[in-house]
Amino acid sequence: MPPAPRGSPPAHGATVRSRYFLRQVAQAILTVAFIVLVNFVLFRMMPGSPERILLGRNPNVSAEALQQTKERWGLDKPLIPDQFVSYVVATVQGDLGFSFVYRGKPVTQVLAERVGPTLLLFGLGELIAIFIGLAIGAYSGWRRGGPVDYVGNGISLILYSMPYFLIGMGLLVIFATALGWFPTYGMVTPGATYDSVGEHAADILAHLALPLATVAIGLIGQYSILMRASVIETMNDDYITTARAKGLTGGRILRHHALPNAMLPAVTLIAVNLGYVVAGAITAEKVFNWPGLGTLTVEALEARDFPVLQGVFLLLSISVVAANLVADLIYGVLDPRVRT
Amino acid sequence: MTAPVLTSGELRRQRLALRARGWRDFLHRFGRRREGLVGVAILVLYTILAIAPALFVGPLETAVTATGGRLQPPGTAHILGTDELGRDMLNLTVHGTRISMIIGFLATLVTVSVGVVLGIISGFVGGRTDILLMRITDFFLVLPTFVLALVLTPIIRDVLGGGGEILGIRISLLVIVVAIGITSWASTARIIRSQTLSLRERAFVDRARVIGGGPLHTMWHHILPNVINLIVANAVLVFAGAVLTETALSYLGLGDPFQPSWGQILNAADQAGAPGLGAWWYLVPAGASIVLVVLAFTLVGGALDDVLSPRRTGRR
Amino acid sequence: MRAPVSRRFVRLLAALGLAGALLLPALAAPARAADEKLVLRAGTDQKIKSLNPYAAVVVAEYEAFTLNYDLLVNFGENNEPVPGFAASWTQSADGNTWTFKIQPGLKWSDGKAATSEDARWTYQTMLDAVAKEVTLVSGYLDGYLPAAGVTSVTAPDPETLVVTTEFPSTLVLYVYAPILPKHVWEKVPFDDIASGAYTNPPPVVGTGPYQAVETKEGNFTRFMKNPNWRGSALGADEVILTTFASSDTMVQALRNGEIDYARGIAPDQFNSLKGQPNIVAVEGASNGYTELAFNCYSRNGGVIEGGGASTKALQDPAFRDALGYAIDKEELVAKTLAGYGEPGSTIVPPFHARWHVPPASPRTFDIEKAKSLLDVAGYKLDAGGKRLDKEGKPITLRLTWPDSEAENGTDAQFIAAWFEPLGIKVDASVTEEGQLIDQLLPPEGEGKAQFDMFIWGWVGDPDPNSLLKFFLAAEIGVSSDSFYENPKYDELYDAQRKESDEAKRRELLTQMQELIYVEAPYHVLYYDSQLDAYRTDRFTNWKNQPAANGTPLFGQGSFGYWGLQAVAVATPTPAVTAAPAPSGEPTPAPSSSGGSGTGGGDSTPLLVGILVAVLVVAGIVLALVFRRRQAGGEEE
Repeated sequence: MPPAPRGSPPAHGATVRSRYFLRQVAQAILTVAFIVLVNFVLFRMMPGSPERILLGRNPNVSAEALQQTKERWGLDKPLIPDQFVSYVVATVQGDLGFSFVYRGKPVTQVLAERVGPTLLLFGLGELIAIFIGLAIGAYSGWRRGGPVDYVGNGISLILYSMPYFLIGMGLLVIFATALGWFPTYGMVTPGATYDSVGEHAADILAHLALPLATVAIGLIGQYSILMRASVIETMNDDYITTARAKGLTGGRILRHHALPNAMLPAVTLIAVNLGYVVAGAITAEKVFNWPGLGTLTVEALEARDFPVLQGVFLLLSISVVAANLVADLIYGVLDPRVRT
Repeated sequence: MTAPVLTSGELRRQRLALRARGWRDFLHRFGRRREGLVGVAILVLYTILAIAPALFVGPLETAVTATGGRLQPPGTAHILGTDELGRDMLNLTVHGTRISMIIGFLATLVTVSVGVVLGIISGFVGGRTDILLMRITDFFLVLPTFVLALVLTPIIRDVLGGGGEILGIRISLLVIVVAIGITSWASTARIIRSQTLSLRERAFVDRARVIGGGPLHTMWHHILPNVINLIVANAVLVFAGAVLTETALSYLGLGDPFQPSWGQILNAADQAGAPGLGAWWYLVPAGASIVLVVLAFTLVGGALDDVLSPRRTGRR
Repeated sequence: MRAPVSRRFVRLLAALGLAGALLLPALAAPARAADEKLVLRAGTDQKIKSLNPYAAVVVAEYEAFTLNYDLLVNFGENNEPVPGFAASWTQSADGNTWTFKIQPGLKWSDGKAATSEDARWTYQTMLDAVAKEVTLVSGYLDGYLPAAGVTSVTAPDPETLVVTTEFPSTLVLYVYAPILPKHVWEKVPFDDIASGAYTNPPPVVGTGPYQAVETKEGNFTRFMKNPNWRGSALGADEVILTTFASSDTMVQALRNGEIDYARGIAPDQFNSLKGQPNIVAVEGASNGYTELAFNCYSRNGGVIEGGGASTKALQDPAFRDALGYAIDKEELVAKTLAGYGEPGSTIVPPFHARWHVPPASPRTFDIEKAKSLLDVAGYKLDAGGKRLDKEGKPITLRLTWPDSEAENGTDAQFIAAWFEPLGIKVDASVTEEGQLIDQLLPPEGEGKAQFDMFIWGWVGDPDPNSLLKFFLAAEIGVSSDSFYENPKYDELYDAQRKESDEAKRRELLTQMQELIYVEAPYHVLYYDSQLDAYRTDRFTNWKNQPAANGTPLFGQGSFGYWGLQAVAVATPTPAVTAAPAPSGEPTPAPSSSGGSGTGGGDSTPLLVGILVAVLVVAGIVLALVFRRRQAGGEEE
């Protein structure tokens, strides 16, 4: 099958596009399945067995306890086919099993408790970063070479080069240790009771401030840089020159032509990043002990909590693949060359 | 207009002259980009420190040879202060340069080699090989590099064994190199594949095929030289990413306290409680170095992209 | 020409400001009613993963069931047996029958009467599990009754419990298993209790001072005062045990007044807290130690296919003894622990004042002596300065430690440096904890014992019995990680287990400690102190357990909580060191708001609500900005 030439519009609008869409969806499902199954094997390749890790280093441990725990978790059966098959069958039915670490707690419940905080942190963080980053980038690109460009671009580059936890540690030292303005850990004051929903929300927001700032600051860089490059490139395009020749003023050109087209790669980036929201920046959550999926993943890895790991990676791959799909779609819909 | 007939010697000389002019041109254009130069300067400085750290600060201080008191702020004896074991921060940071840079370099080598080879093959050969390779690439692309590296590192360490050294680098660090290499090659492969796909359609490739060069010959002599620009620009950014990933992995505790990288230093700072104790000197040298080096790579990468990419011909 | 983009930017900012203003009411500090409730908040780096006591693995989980329940016999201020569920007890003349009198008028927290039937049911369940060979969840509590030789329990009347043993043993008074309410637990299928599927969800019913009413596993657990508590009035109304990811944030929280007690802080943090107003930093002797362990596997000649030790020298006690003279334990305490610990000696820590016996001839730090001892033992230096084993191979020892114990890495640096002048190369590297557990398994545990030396630690029980198990031949493949084997040791262990005469038992333990010290499958490096800190401006009358050298909380009993008294009631002031919070931000309040507000519960709906609200506001903002732009062409 010859490779499709890039950027060409589909031949007959809707039917071709919907067929293409369906094929993409099918591929997406295949990808998710492939990822999940490979991960299943990968986790069990990690050295160290869960029951030993959980029970091992206590003088009261007994061989029977280890063996029985192993049996209870189904780990004494051979990997392929027994464990593999029961995993596939259970997952397809929506049964994600029980956590090894949190004895007796279903994985779905563990995930449910952690997804919210991560979504909140990253959703808001992305939002803020998008707003500020795109604005800075657009202005820098428009006023290329000017002082705003240098400062804006410079700061963006520096922020882009900083790992999350460095930003987090810095904010921690300044705002929590020195100034004491914000709490330093967790999502809520432990064990607090609230008189109203507003109070509960306020507690969460106070704890959210520093991690949110960390994530937002960490993400601004890439949006700003991307937007700037995009704007610059668009400004050089032919149809801009045409518009200018037609006598349209700079502001008009920016708003009605340059920006919408420059938004395209940005939109794609946004959609793709949203897929990674579920992964959470593990290190950012760790600095503040934010109870999200990031910290859960690290704990589960250390404890070899297979059911939780499998659940997390399932969630992860679905969200990333879905986001990529959406990004493709948006691109297909928004690309002006396709629309005309 | 017919091309003049040249002898093979003259041909070669002409090609060399062209290439030399190409280089001069490139350097000239690169030189006009100030950010690129700043980046290069920073990288040169750190590379020198990385090659022979002992020349500047002496051998790596250990818990046994430490001379200072616990967590001393910067002073005359130790310009950047000491850590909780009394080791000089300047000493640790400079030696950390070597580790971080070497890991970054090796990881980039692995990533780019694997990515380029697979990308070119996939794009050039096409068909089922392409589809298969793309599936595999998808797997590595979908999962965040970092999370996958966390899963793979214990497995790799199990395979390679824990102790021992190769070329002065401890195995435990090479484990990180392999982990980063395995998880990062996918985006390079994607980029190279795209370029290969478009190159494949170009005339000179058809001509080469007509003349009778085999696929390997074509890939090596025709595709590769035309993707070099892309590879270089990509490699620079991969290096930056590798340094960041290694730092994050070390921060989570997978580093090696016997040959501390900057990330490992930050991890040790965290364990000792430095942020809460206000021991900023424990955090700043390593942290600032990470930012500077990654920034430098990003600047150089951006400048290279500007200079080498054919589209950026607009007026400055 | 005015830059259009700056105008757009300004409008965007203005819109965001509007959005922020709309959200401000949510951020305004709510008025708090005067507090009637006094809450004790304690922080630890461990997680409480389940409230089922049989699932308990870490100290925090033991602390949880210690608060919820009584043991039949509790641990007193010096870890001696004191009344718990039982008020008194007698031992029969032949020593094999114990008669316990239950506390008169004892009630469960839900009001039902607590009788000997509850104790009988609890012990019988544990005995049944042993008989059926079923492990009760983690299996840590299973061993106490068999170790004491208990064969049966009966409850002849509601106030009496009779326990029969097969040999006379004082271990009956050290059974670290809580008495559970039969009327709650008998409704649960035995399999669910045993597998851990039953998590004992709050509200918990118990006879202890506080019962868990809310738990967010891995995050915090909230306990409320037992309305039917049998002792004197309790100072705190509520206790909250919170999990912190790092000691750094925990110490911050302590300084800010967000918590009252911090367990397990680093030495430098400890130093910075000493002398702070309203904070007491307490160093407790530890019931445990950190050791350098050797791979002494000697079965099959010490040969393990694909693994095993790198040299037979490790099987030779003389070799191990010599190495002991090349370890400067004082230096390790000074450098690694910043002085907070004791140099190590025998396997029973000084914490056990009645049982610890120092070695007859302790080793000193003397490299020359180490060298000469190695020569005498037959390990000579070759021409190149390398120490050779009896097979003629240069000795290179691999040394590892788990990544969860960073300070062991510091010890490793020292040890590597000290062994070098002996001609022994040390190849040191850290291993991830899960992986290390695997590497330490011998063939009896389906492993390959791929190590030479490692540095790790153990924590003990109130009775030293558990710390003695690691050197039993039967434990190879289970808890023995040095694979030491000595029939004499096994004999002594069995004897001391059954010995109820204290002096005789001490004599046996002396022999055991001496044996292990001399043969050195472990070199006990140090007894690392437990470093805790607590605030004194809200609670007073903190008592250490043990009184001489312990810490107030997280000991072996709950009376550290009993005696606490409030310093002042009503709204406490926050933060000793933090600056006052700017208006509009809620201050991190150390106590919960008054009244019966809704608990934290599941925040997911709330979080989604917040996110949706923000998205809606963002959407409005965007619409505003865009509409203003398109309406009526502006012009510049």
